[in-house]
Amino acid sequence: MKKLDRLGWAEGLAFSTFGVGVGVRVNVPGVLPRLLPLLPPGWKKSRRLVAQRVYSLMVAEGCERAGMRRLHVLYADSARLARGPGLDLLLEAFEADLHLHTAEASSDMTFLHAGVVGWQGRAIVVPGRSFSGKTTLVREMLRLGATYYSDEFAVVDNLGLVHPFARPLGIREEGSGAQTKYTAERLAATTGVGPLPVGIAVISEYQMGAQWRPVPLSQGQGALELLANSVAVRRQPHKTLIRIHELARQAVFLRGTRGEAREAASSILRFCSEP
Amino acid sequence: MKERALPRARKDCLSRELDDEVVIYDPQRHEGHCLNATAAAVWKLCDGKNSASQIALIVSRQFSAQVDESVVQLALEYLTDAHLLVEQKTSVGSPSRRVALRRVGMAAAFALPLITSIVAPTPAHAATCLPGGALCSSGAQCCSGICLLGKCLLGATSKPGAKRRSSIVGAEFESGETQ
Repeated sequence: MKKLDRLGWAEGLAFSTFGVGVGVRVNVPGVLPRLLPLLPPGWKKSRRLVAQRVYSLMVAEGCERAGMRRLHVLYADSARLARGPGLDLLLEAFEADLHLHTAEASSDMTFLHAGVVGWQGRAIVVPGRSFSGKTTLVREMLRLGATYYSDEFAVVDNLGLVHPFARPLGIREEGSGAQTKYTAERLAATTGVGPLPVGIAVISEYQMGAQWRPVPLSQGQGALELLANSVAVRRQPHKTLIRIHELARQAVFLRGTRGEAREAASSILRFCSEP
Repeated sequence: MKERALPRARKDCLSRELDDEVVIYDPQRHEGHCLNATAAAVWKLCDGKNSASQIALIVSRQFSAQVDESVVQLALEYLTDAHLLVEQKTSVGSPSRRVALRRVGMAAAFALPLITSIVAPTPAHAATCLPGGALCSSGAQCCSGICLLGKCLLGATSKPGAKRRSSIVGAEFESGETQ
């Protein structure tokens, strides 16, 4: 780390997000503004802060000589996180690692890997792994008028309330699996601002042609599903279990295999609208 | 099925009750478990003072139904499989689960013991994975599970849950639940 510290740094920023202190520095003026949209939602600039992690982005400058490639390098503390000729790929790696680090290191909140929307004053939580179709379901519910909270993390506090983590939705392109970012506004949806109690948690998986016929899950089984999608349970088991317990006490759990997201989304919202 | 003299639940596990179920997290093995009402009732009585027959009597009173000792033995077997009991030197040949199940019958007035278990994810496994071509530092970050020369490998995508070992102890009895 000392070796890195000795290098020339042109710009830097210290900020806190969900109680986690982070530092970022770059060696070339003008690059820092490109990082700002990638920071976790709700980050706050801080002048005095003990950074739990420092990201150092070395941008390769100057003309390339024949047979010699200049590579950009990204470090998280003293560990090299990524290296490559394309800055965009490094910025993707920065965003992914920063969000994951925040989710893992935050002791103020518990992060569950889940999509979340708000509907009639309650949160609908869709926990699940990558490629389980969370974002597709979230996008359909937004189309039907739900409020956007997150397509990546359900952020749960001590009371079991769910806070927004409204980063742009990462919608996957068919085939490559690469994500294109869409803001909620671009999808004509509004973004939630305050915490919500949970209405239902939907454990679903996509299967082509399947009909959405969910079955209720017990609260214990539902809590176990949330546990299976919690980022920091290994690091903070006690806090994680307490918050999941609070959330599960308030929630109705449904599990099912879905086909088209439109059918499932409208059924879920209808279910939530019932008294 | 093994017979335990005085079964004792591990003290280092974290637990929370939800209705009549109990969710347990084992910080040593990084496993989560959900015990149904019967398994939870037996687990709570595993204090190192009650024998299986005593547990059966107490649980019978709690459930207002006759709970056979073989049901308690079955629950203890599952709890042992889930590593939720303090290991004990065990003895005597005892009936298999199948025999025990037959003995219990399917017409019981209470649910048979059931424990659902998961392995807690690592942070990278509990987050969105990176597509092929994205820069990576470990295979856990990549959807393909392979980080080669600093880039996620293109191709096969790990399906949800592929990185998670999920086991249901006693799942064969799930359909036999009568509660």
